[in-house]
Order: sequence, then structure tokens, then C-alpha cells
Amino acid sequence: MSEAWLPVVALAASLLVVPVIFALPERAWRARAVVNLGAALFKLLMVMLMVYGLYQGRDYNFSFTVVQGASFLLQVDAMGLMFAGLSALLWLATTVYAIGYLEDSPNRKRFFGFFTLCIASTVGIALAGNLFTFLLFYEMLTLSTYPLVAHRGHPEALRAGTIYLRYTLAGGLVLLLGVVAMHVLVGDVSFGQREMLADLGPDARPMLTVLFVVLLAGLGVKAALVPLHGWLPRAMVAPAPVSALLHAVAVVKAGAFGIVRLIYDIYGIGLSHELGLLSLLTGIAVVTILYGSVRALSQQELKPRLAYSTVSQVSYIILGISLFGPYGTIAGLSHLLHQGLMKVTLFYCAGNYAEELGIHRIDDLNGAGRRMPLTSVAFTVAALGMIGMPPVAGFITKWYLGMGALQAGMPWVIAVLVVSSLLNSAYFLPIVHRLWFRQGPAHGQGRWPEERNLGRFETSAWLLLPTAATAMFSLMTGLLAGIAFSPLDLAIFMANGEYRP
Amino acid sequence: MREILLALVPIWPLLLMLRSSLWFAVQQGDPHRLGPRPHVLDPWWASAPLPAIALALWPGEAELAVEGWMLGGLWQIDEARRPWLLFAALLWGLAGWYARGYLADERHGTAHDDGEFRRLLRFALLWPLTLAGNLLLIVAEDIPSFYLGFVTMTLAAYGLVVHTGEREARHGGFAYLVMALLGEAMILAGLLWAAGSGEALTLTELRVSVTEAEQGLWMATLLWLGFGVKAGVAGLHVWLPLAHPVAPTPASAVLSGVMVKAGLLGWLSTLPLGSAEAGLAPLGEVIIVVGLVGAFAAALLGVAQRHPKAVLAYSSVSQLGMIASLVGAGLSAPVLWPALAPAVALFAAHHGMTKGVLFLGVGISEHPPRLPAWLIGSLLLLPALSLAGAFGSGLMTKEFLKKALHDSDHAALSTWLSAAAVGTTVLMARALWRQWRERGEHAIAWRSPMALAWLVGVLLAAGVPLWLPLGKHVHWPPLADLPGLLWPAALGLGLAGLVLLAALLRRGEPGALSRLHAGDLWWGYAALARWILAGLATLSASLEAWNSRVRSAFGKRERRMIAALDDLTHFEPHFRRLAIPLMVGVGGLLLLGFWLGSLVWPGLAGPG
Repeated sequence: MSEAWLPVVALAASLLVVPVIFALPERAWRARAVVNLGAALFKLLMVMLMVYGLYQGRDYNFSFTVVQGASFLLQVDAMGLMFAGLSALLWLATTVYAIGYLEDSPNRKRFFGFFTLCIASTVGIALAGNLFTFLLFYEMLTLSTYPLVAHRGHPEALRAGTIYLRYTLAGGLVLLLGVVAMHVLVGDVSFGQREMLADLGPDARPMLTVLFVVLLAGLGVKAALVPLHGWLPRAMVAPAPVSALLHAVAVVKAGAFGIVRLIYDIYGIGLSHELGLLSLLTGIAVVTILYGSVRALSQQELKPRLAYSTVSQVSYIILGISLFGPYGTIAGLSHLLHQGLMKVTLFYCAGNYAEELGIHRIDDLNGAGRRMPLTSVAFTVAALGMIGMPPVAGFITKWYLGMGALQAGMPWVIAVLVVSSLLNSAYFLPIVHRLWFRQGPAHGQGRWPEERNLGRFETSAWLLLPTAATAMFSLMTGLLAGIAFSPLDLAIFMANGEYRP
Repeated sequence: MREILLALVPIWPLLLMLRSSLWFAVQQGDPHRLGPRPHVLDPWWASAPLPAIALALWPGEAELAVEGWMLGGLWQIDEARRPWLLFAALLWGLAGWYARGYLADERHGTAHDDGEFRRLLRFALLWPLTLAGNLLLIVAEDIPSFYLGFVTMTLAAYGLVVHTGEREARHGGFAYLVMALLGEAMILAGLLWAAGSGEALTLTELRVSVTEAEQGLWMATLLWLGFGVKAGVAGLHVWLPLAHPVAPTPASAVLSGVMVKAGLLGWLSTLPLGSAEAGLAPLGEVIIVVGLVGAFAAALLGVAQRHPKAVLAYSSVSQLGMIASLVGAGLSAPVLWPALAPAVALFAAHHGMTKGVLFLGVGISEHPPRLPAWLIGSLLLLPALSLAGAFGSGLMTKEFLKKALHDSDHAALSTWLSAAAVGTTVLMARALWRQWRERGEHAIAWRSPMALAWLVGVLLAAGVPLWLPLGKHVHWPPLADLPGLLWPAALGLGLAGLVLLAALLRRGEPGALSRLHAGDLWWGYAALARWILAGLATLSASLEAWNSRVRSAFGKRERRMIAALDDLTHFEPHFRRLAIPLMVGVGGLLLLGFWLGSLVWPGLAGPG
């Protein structure tokens, strides 16, 4: 049974809201909030329907031909749904957070308009059924994120925006070249038609390798692979909800998701393995993981430290999928969700500290646990998860990465994991220590940089609720990883599909 | 019923923790509340280990499988786990009760001092959390739960170590945390490697996969070292003498009594002891040697300490070295293990209870209860004698050990252990001496929680083999064996007496001793780490400089290029002026070309 309308409706839910938001006057924040939240809830519902349908074995796809040889194709598969689910869930949380965060600040209409467009692009990326459609939404994401990064409009933000555009547009260009070359080579490639490249025969192998590197370079910019990561730490000037979204689901994840598609749905894991491309990817991922962690250590401000941590953590996904074998796949795909949940929590917390207390530097955080206990608990949970401590979600990833490393015959990867965990502890635990064990303004020593009392609780409920919710999710996805529909369960479902066709 | 108790073992302390945090929420909601604050350390709080005690005393085995829990939870209580669970839970219970008295000053101070209240609250939250982790790792059979328990215990205990917030406490806590994280890293590496190579999810499968794996020796080494940080393996023990003296006394008691045993339990759970195919004999030999080195070196270093808790911490290192050498013997001679396993459990329980009570005794000597001095003195002396192997539990444990090692390749080990017991005796004498020198005034009632917990502890510690559910009967040593068992204690007492005499004659302690700081190798490690970090900082600074040079070079080139592109507009007017001549020229050239072409290839000029 084919229900083509479902993915289209899911996409349209976010896309059609954009003109509505732009049409609403700047002052109508209530109406805007209702529209935003309504659309977010509706999309979450659509995604849940699709997940249910997929488990029932239904098949959704929608396509029309744009020009000869290039068609617009939306299709629903497990991998796309995973990403769409993450985007729907975090969209809801981040919308709530953004409403609280941007209260009383100018240009909210522009912000929410592009914010929604950005989310619509991620849904498009998730549901895209071929390279052409993927590229379309991928570029749309680039352009819709720029106004968000440069939202504040001060010179630093504008410069960060310029650097962001330079990196991502150059990456997009390279990707375009790769996609065009791929079209020339085999025509329109739908995701999942792995046999098309595998059937090309040995003569095409060198060409395929070159193409892979070109596509990887294009996608690697957004995925912040070293040395293409330069834009990410600078994009930190964006408002906290944007950073949260950028790091957890939108831009960085889109790049990582593109690489996942490239490996599993275009080349196929078997072909990638035969061409030796996986080892290349492992190498890049390992370098990125270690480099990101080392750089994070030397950051004195909270958000840049989190940014470098993202550089490192997103490469866990790449590392996972580059390890040949189901365990590696499980690790990579589940980390796609795990990292999103944990990182979004960390950025919410950073935003809460900045909004409520005016804290941007790590050494101002002394004793903040007493002033903002719930935020600090959320931060602690997410930070422990990033280190890979049980029972938070990060441990599940680390466990499967270890299993995957042995399955792929690369036990040395475990050493990388361990070193990375130690580095992660070295840059996260001092923050946690400051929160809980140092004396600070809350104990009558010194003053907070800029204290505002935003709400009845430790800060505004709009800010606190999403933070608590995502922290709870990070904890639960680890603690109850074995239950149905958990990220791990979905990842296992997919890995079985990949390796046992 | 057993299953419910099993689930309650870690959950009950967590519920109690939740209860304390709700108090906190109430406080937070109303910061200007006047009047007395609630007692955070009430009897309910101290009931945290009760389900575990009940489970350990409840006969029969039980298993609890929860599929949704992490990667598949499997908790068990069986005969091997029972003694560990019982003595751990008992000591936690005693120390918890003791803490209610020990922290009484802070409890009374909380009505006025907000900082004091927060500190106490932190203690009240982290104590059950540490406890839950510790008990979970005992009952866990699946690897993730085991690791979860271990990590929770390790991290939460940090808060207990730094409780006072003073400079030494922070330093001790730092040493504790750094070493613990290094240990965690090695454990994680070992667990992942071993579990991955055999696709194991439970500890039993893990032991099998270490046995079967090609690199089993290296996996076992990683696990030995990783858990060895907790279990005070010589070289990795440096946190013990730094963290123990600074922690509040009940925390020191559980730290030394139970938590370090978690490392030992880690060895028993992950190393394929008693399996002949494992081929880990070389590692076993190494463990024996390192264990004995630790046992003797710690005794020598401990004697030089002034703080009674530092002396006791070194004694823990020494005792743990002895236990480690037994584990090593089990690894190098798998046939011996069935006899050694109960001996190790007994030794661990004996040391745990006795050392716990000794630590509690330090607090007692600082605030003695209103009891006759001779009674307090002899009650303080009893566990010390027992640890030295000259009384009650210690004597029986020693006899049991001797029998287990008797007539084996490792019979010499029991002689070595006896020699190490000489060191223990000297250490005990030293600790008691320091306690005597730092004794306080009679301050508390004998019915106060602190004194009661200690009294019950002394009784329990004196007869560990009598109540420990070991599954084997432990006999009193026959009279004929007594000289063979008592000579180390006698020799140790003699030595201690000589040292005391010398000290009295020289009026003071030799200067060389006071230079041996607690933490010995830690200071060397710290200097090394500083040196490496300084090197790394220089390296990264030079990399940074190189990076910015490259970037500025690129920037310069880019600016030059943009400038060149801007320059191109200057040519625009020229183009405009030249446009017509250029077109005319091109047209002319084309015509010429056509004409020439039609001459060479007549067909090209036109149709025809």
C-alpha cells in the first residue's frame, strides 16, 4: 500500500508555516507561538505515524520528474525516519526554548521564519529519496541558516556568517560537482539502489573512489570533519537555540547524515569496504575525534568548548559507520540520535546560564549549581553522557563502537575511544566540578556577571522545560536502551536491514 | 520476594536520595524560611542498605532479568556474591549510623549556617548514591550494570572525599579522581576489548572470552591494572593515603572497608580465575610479586605517617597487596582457586569490617564516649590485634589461608604473608600510638549513634568468620598451630616497642621519617604530569603560531587577488572604446577566414 501523501504532508507542515510566520506582524508573539508549536506538534505526529507505518511494513514514496533524468523523490526509510524523528522532537523542544530565549528581543519574525525554514530543510534532507532531492534541501539548509547565524547583526556575528557561508557554499559546490558526475556516470541514483554502482565493474573503480572523495569533501564541510571544521566554532556567536539546533540536528547532523547516506545507500557498505573507503573514513574520524577534543581543552568559554566537543562527537557517528559490521552501524546510527539529545541539552544549559546569569566564560560558573540546580543537573547528565559514562546514552554508543571495532578487526580503535573519553572527562569534569563543588556568587563570593530573574523558578519555565526534557531523554535512552522504539532499537532494526538483505 | 529485594538493593538508596532532594527543593522554593531545618540524616536515611542485608540473609538464590534495562539487565544473588553483599551492606549500615553522630555538629549548625546545611545535604545525597553504586556492582551480572555501579560509586565518592572543602581535602579528592579516571579508562578498554572479542554481555561470558581470546593476557592485564587503581596495587595506590585522611571518618571507613574491595571484586568478576586454559600464569606471577612488594613497601611508608588515618590507609594498601597476591596465586595455579576463592572472600570481609571499625575508632578516639578509659582502649585494641592476625577473626582467617595454601606450589606465599603481617602489626601499633597522642576529651554519650555503631562494629568485626555466609566452615586454629600463627604479631609488637623506646630516648621522631609525605609516588607523578603538560602547552602554542601564520598568508593572498580583480574594472573603459574596432576586426577576420576556407575547401563556402 502506498500512502504518498504522508511524507509530503510532513514536509509541507513545516514549509507552509514559513509564509504564515512571515505574514504575522512582529508584535503578535502569541499567534506566532501557537503557529510554531502547532506545526511542531503536527510534524511530530506525522513522523510517529510514519514510524508506525514503517514497522508495519508500509511503503511511502512520492515523486515527480523535474527535468529529464532528474526527479524529485521523497521516500520513507528507516534511516530517514530516524533523522526526521530527531528533527521533529528537537524542533518542538527548541521552539519552546527559542520562544523563551528571544522574549523581548528584536527581529523575532525573521528569526522564526528562517528557523522554520531550516527545520523544513532538515525534514527534506531526511525524506529525500535521491541525490538530487538531497542536494536541493541541503543547499536550502545552508541558505536558511545564514540569517540565524548572523541574527544578532553585530560585526562579529556578520563575520561569522560570512565565514559560515564561505565554507558551506564551497562545500555545496564541491558536492554539486560530485552529484553531477554521479549522474553522468550512472544516472539518477535513488537511495537504496546500491547495485547500480556495484554493477559498474572493475574499470569504474578508480573513478568511484575519486567521486567518493569529492562527495565526502562536499559533505564533510557541514559534518565539520577536520580540516573542514573551521566555521563551526566561529558560528558560536549565534543565539543559543540556533547553536543548539545547528549542533544537534540541523547543519552538522545533515552533513553526517549525508555521509551515512553516501556509505549505505549510494555506495553500499560492501562496495565501500571493497574500495578501502571505510579505512579512509576511519582515519579521518579518528583524527577529528582527537583533534576536536584537544582543541576543546584549551577553550576558556563555554560555547566554543561545546563547539569543539561537537566536532569530536559527530565523528563518533562517522567512526561508527566506517567500522565494517553490524555493531559499527548500530553505534553510528544510534549516536546520530544520542549525540543530538545530549548536545542540545548542553547548549540549552549554556543558554540558560547566559540568559539568567550572563555567564559566558567557564571560570564564571563557580557555584552555579546552587543558583540553578535543575539546569546544572541537566548539564551534568549530558556531560557525563558525552564522556560515555553509563547510564547516559553516550555509553551505549561507546559500547557498540568498541564491539564494532573488534568486529571490523581494528582493536586499536578502542584505544582511541579510551583516550577520547579521558580527554572528554578532562574538559567536561572541571565544568561540572565548578558547578557543584566551588564556591561562587551563590555562596556570597563575588557577583554573577549579569543576573536577571527571569521566572518563578531558577529561570524562565520556557527555558527550563526543554532543558529538563532533553536531559531526561538522554538519560532514558541510555537507561532503557533495550525497550522498543528506543534509538538503539531503531539502529539495530536498520543494521539488520543493511547486513541481512 | 527475593526478586523484589534484589531490585530494591540499588533502588531503595536512590529513593532515599530522591527524598533528600525533595527536601532540597522545598528549601530552594522558600529560601527565607525561618526556624529549624529538617534533619537530613534521619533514621530513614540510614536505612539505605537494609534491603541488601535482608537479601544477603534470605536463603536461596535469585535472579532478576530486565530486558529493557540498558543492554539487557541481569542481577543475581548467588553463593559467591552473598558474603560480599552482606559485609558491604553491614559496613555501609554501620558507617551510615555512625555518620549521623559524626556529623552531629554540622547538623546542629545547619539551623543558622546555610553553607553548612548545603554541605550536609550534599553528603546526604551522595552517600546513598555511592552506596547504590557499590551494591549494584555486587549484584550485577550483566557488564553494563556492573560498570554502571562501578562508575557511580567512583564518581559519587568524590563528593564524600572533598566533604570538608578544605585545601587538603580538595587535593586528596583531586588525586582520587585523577587516579580513578585513569582506572576507569583501563577498565573500559579491557571490558570493551574482552567483551567485543567474545560478544559477551554478562560477566560469566566475559571470563570465558578472556580465556579464549588470543590476546587474553593483555585484556587481563588491562583489567588487573584498571581495577588495581581501586584495589591499591603498588604504584597505583597513591590516592589511598591522600584521600583517606581528608575524608570524613565514616566515608574513610567505607572507602577503605568496602569501596576498595570493589576493585578486588572486579578482578574476581572479570579475570578467568580457576580456568586452566586461560594461560594467564605469567600475569599471576606478576600479580603475586607486585602484591607482595605493595604489602611490604606500604608497611614501611605507613610507619612514617603521623596522621592515624594515613597510617591506616597505608595498612590498607599493605593488606590489599596480600589479598592481591592470593588472587595472583589463583591465576598462576588455577587448581588452587577453588580452595582460595573462599579464603579471598573471607580475607576481604575480615579486612573490610576490621579496617572499617579501625577507621571508625579514629573518630572515637577524637571524641571518646563516656565510658571507662580501659574499656575504650581495649575496644580500640581488639580490631588492631585482629588485623595483625593475633585475635578472633584475624586469627581464624590466617589459619584458613594457611590451609588453603598448604601443600601447594605456593606454600611459600603463606610465609611471605606472615612476614607482611609483622609490618601490619607495626602499623597498627603506630596508628594506635598516634590516636593516643591525638586523643580528645570525653564528649559523647555511649548511647549516641556514633558510639553505638562503633561498638556493634567492633563486635561484628571480631567474629567475621562466624557470621559470614561463606558456604564453608571456618575452624578455630588448634592450640598446636598457635605459635606458628602468632609469631608475626609478637615480632611486630617487639619491633614497635623498640622503635617506641628509641623515639623516647631520642625525644622525638627521626627527621628522615617526617620527610616521607603521604601519597609517596603521587608527588613524582604530579611533577611528571606538570612537565609533560608544559611541553604540550609549548607545542600547541607553536602550532597555533604556525596556524595563524599560514592563515594570515592566505588572507594576504586573498586580499591581493581581490585587489587584482578590482583592478580589472579599470580596463572596462578601454573595452568600451575598443568595442567597435574590435568587432570590425573580428568581422573582417571572419570574412577573411571564410574566403580562405572557400579557396582551400570549395565545399565549405556554401551549398554548391
